[in-house]
Amino acid sequence: MRPMKFGMGQALTRVEDHRFITGSGHYATDYHAKGELQAFVLRSPYASATFRMGSLDAARAMPGVAAVITHVDVAHLGDLPCQAPVKNSDGSTPRAPSYPVLPKDRVFHVGEAVAFIVAETLNQARDAAEAIDIKWSAMPVVSEIADARKKGAPLVHEAAPGNVAFDHLMGDKAKTDAVFAKAARVVSLDVVNNRLIANYMETRSIVAEPKKDGKFLITLGSQGSHGLRNTLAKFIFKTDPANFRVVTPDVGGGFGTKTFMYREYPLAVFAAGKLGRPVRWASDRTEHFFACAHGRDNLTRCEMALDERGKFLALRVEIDANMGAYLSQYGPYIPWLGATMLTGVYDIKAGYARVRGLFTNSVPFDAYRGAGRPEAAYMLERFVDYIADEIGMDRIKLRKLNFIKPARMPYKTVTGRVYDTGEFAGHLDRAMEIAEWKGFPARARSARKVGKLRGIGLGVYIEACGGGSPEPAYVSLEKDGTATVRIGTQSNGQGHETAYAQLVSQHLDLPLDKIRVKQGDTNDTPTGLGTGGSRSIPVGGSGVMKAAELLATNLKTLAAEKLEAGIGDLEISGGAVRIAGTDRRITFAEIAALPGAKKDMLSTTAAFAPPEATYPNGTHVCEVEIDPETGETRIVNFVIVDDFGVTLNPILLAGQIHGGAAQGIGQAMIERYVQDENGQILTASFLDYAMPRADDMPSFTFETRNVPSTTNAMGLKGAGEAGTIGAAPAVVNAIVDALRRAKGISHVDMPANAQTIWEVLRSAT
Amino acid sequence: MPKVSMTVNGKRVSGNVDARTLLVDFLRNEQRLTGTHVGCDTSQCGACVVHVDGKAIKSCTTLALSCEGANVTTIEGLANGQDLHPMQAAFRAHHGLQCGFCTPGMIMAAIDMVNRLGFNLSEETIRENLDGNICRCTGYHNIVKAIQAGAAAMGGLKVAAE
Repeated sequence: MRPMKFGMGQALTRVEDHRFITGSGHYATDYHAKGELQAFVLRSPYASATFRMGSLDAARAMPGVAAVITHVDVAHLGDLPCQAPVKNSDGSTPRAPSYPVLPKDRVFHVGEAVAFIVAETLNQARDAAEAIDIKWSAMPVVSEIADARKKGAPLVHEAAPGNVAFDHLMGDKAKTDAVFAKAARVVSLDVVNNRLIANYMETRSIVAEPKKDGKFLITLGSQGSHGLRNTLAKFIFKTDPANFRVVTPDVGGGFGTKTFMYREYPLAVFAAGKLGRPVRWASDRTEHFFACAHGRDNLTRCEMALDERGKFLALRVEIDANMGAYLSQYGPYIPWLGATMLTGVYDIKAGYARVRGLFTNSVPFDAYRGAGRPEAAYMLERFVDYIADEIGMDRIKLRKLNFIKPARMPYKTVTGRVYDTGEFAGHLDRAMEIAEWKGFPARARSARKVGKLRGIGLGVYIEACGGGSPEPAYVSLEKDGTATVRIGTQSNGQGHETAYAQLVSQHLDLPLDKIRVKQGDTNDTPTGLGTGGSRSIPVGGSGVMKAAELLATNLKTLAAEKLEAGIGDLEISGGAVRIAGTDRRITFAEIAALPGAKKDMLSTTAAFAPPEATYPNGTHVCEVEIDPETGETRIVNFVIVDDFGVTLNPILLAGQIHGGAAQGIGQAMIERYVQDENGQILTASFLDYAMPRADDMPSFTFETRNVPSTTNAMGLKGAGEAGTIGAAPAVVNAIVDALRRAKGISHVDMPANAQTIWEVLRSAT
Repeated sequence: MPKVSMTVNGKRVSGNVDARTLLVDFLRNEQRLTGTHVGCDTSQCGACVVHVDGKAIKSCTTLALSCEGANVTTIEGLANGQDLHPMQAAFRAHHGLQCGFCTPGMIMAAIDMVNRLGFNLSEETIRENLDGNICRCTGYHNIVKAIQAGAAAMGGLKVAAE
């Protein structure tokens, strides 16, 4: 691709930054409607209980109270839908438990909404909530996966025997079992994938405004306003989506979990309609732990069949995934998606995954950055290190022996994935070289002299993203010669305004500040699938690029007539079309004023339908130093070498990788959501849920070793989640390496925090 | 309701507030200065950091009434017209922000760090002194670089962008 000053590959700083660094960003939580009322959600103190709502008269009579909404008020509304069910092995689709806007008489997790109180001020709404008398009757609790699968465990939902939400088999079980029966060696390991909270910095909020024509203006933070509009309209209110205009302004982080429908949205819309006034609800941080989808939480058993040389012959995996108390929008799909990446970067000819979703009395689960692929990559890369240790083989040699070789691409995996490209040994070697892997023994000796334990580890990942349905992009030339992009993806901080502008500039050669990017308003674009699965650039960006190319052709066509030149002699530069090699030119603004410059010439649209996902892959190397007296662990070096096909903007790309890796490191070392046996949440604030801070994180060395993808015209591979996927196994493998060298310890579960490491070291003989 | 008066970004402001009103709510709701954010309920995240009489404080745990007569600076008060404060410019130059929600607090905390510790800040010092500010997007790598460069720029030095 021809290098353009503001185009593809350029390291440009972000156009959106000015408003954020001057405090003029505009987030949903900054939005207020004139005359708005404030809402407070009364939530269940029990993880499992029946309840009887007492009289609401006292609450309704309190100062400023406009409405107290309970189940009876919203019983006519549809349930929150699970839109991605997973079939059972027998082909049946399990019935999802009813997930009503408000429950009638039964709650299934702590923090479950039971009433929505609307008042002139938030304090008045809170006070009124105190005046609501509810008779609770506690029921048996299933707090965690281990509780759910115990024989004779209480049932979260009567209709789900064994607390099984679905039981799915992927791959060829008979073939796999046959290989296992004859294998020279079988190694097995149980791994925990700890439960995480997204904890984006801006909590969710909504302002619902009824309009005179019976329609609603809804302002909320999301990862795509169209998806929420459609779910609200089609599933819950059973009305025409055109009755809802959903607007998402700046978004303070999403990481997957701002994609979904949550109870407060229909409640605010219903209340606003009932009262004829705008209604605002905003979550506080603790509510985020109660009322937003949780992430990860798997218990996985993995087994590998090997031959005498260490060649992987077959892999079988049993994943038990926590679904929480209800099936969230995409909940079941997440462990299923992870299982499709079962065999990772390795050539394994037989394998299967049994994926079970289990109900527990906890907040529902859904996609959190990586959505199943971090779980799969962690399982496999932790397991490979463990296998190397078990069979006494060097972990690098074991990997290289089993890697899918570049010559085998495209490669079809046992779960049906088709990898287009990937040179795994290439980035592995490069990452080890940068990390000075060979010099590690000397560094470990030096550390030991001062009483510290050093370890080095790595993870080689591949993941699937940037596929799925097309995302139409609209690019238009304005009268003043600037350009506007409209698209239904949604930046939550990734920098779409810069990235899409670069793709337009590749064809229009405009500086980025002459290109506006509009997202988030369902009135601006007819459709939109939102941001998720690292799709905004590979899928959305491909559409933007194509639409910009079409517009460039139109501009040349219009210019050709005016300049009396052949299209082939024209070139675009600096906001004008000119006859190449001359100073005869016509500016974009002048083109826009030509009589032939009809709307269909100045506005173009394109959508790219990916034939396959993209498969970014890479190697993370982590080196740690542990103080055995305290268990405190420092990351002393962190190297990432990734294959993203093609780099659109190296500054934005590095940002995605650093931030993604931080979330993986957080999971590996400190983050964990905990419930007690009664289902009470022990980590419901930043005081007790360990959020990574600057001092917990390393400096990163990041570079790319790109092999262009063959599944999209630009050769890109999605990069939004890869950092998270690669980091956790590298960190835990480094920690285990240190512990093995010191005490022969072969595995620890995440989060490998100071307490865990201290205990493991103390209990080792 | 008691009356409170203070100087915010060089402007004298006053208002009658409920005694329990927090400074952050006074700034966001009464003064419509929405650059100062609230990210938690427990004074942990630092999205709400502003300067009161030249020192960084968390406005989510400060009563508006306790700032009677004080000189308050928020993120909106840093730039001089179109001229960004060197710390703001450094955050942009080093891609020290993504969603931008923690950014105002980060920048206010960073300037305070320079005021307390000088223009030549090591990576270790910056990381240690950022423990009251949480970012979920950046992994802190570029925030640390931005603060280092911003500090140097405040002292009249130049640090090359990475």
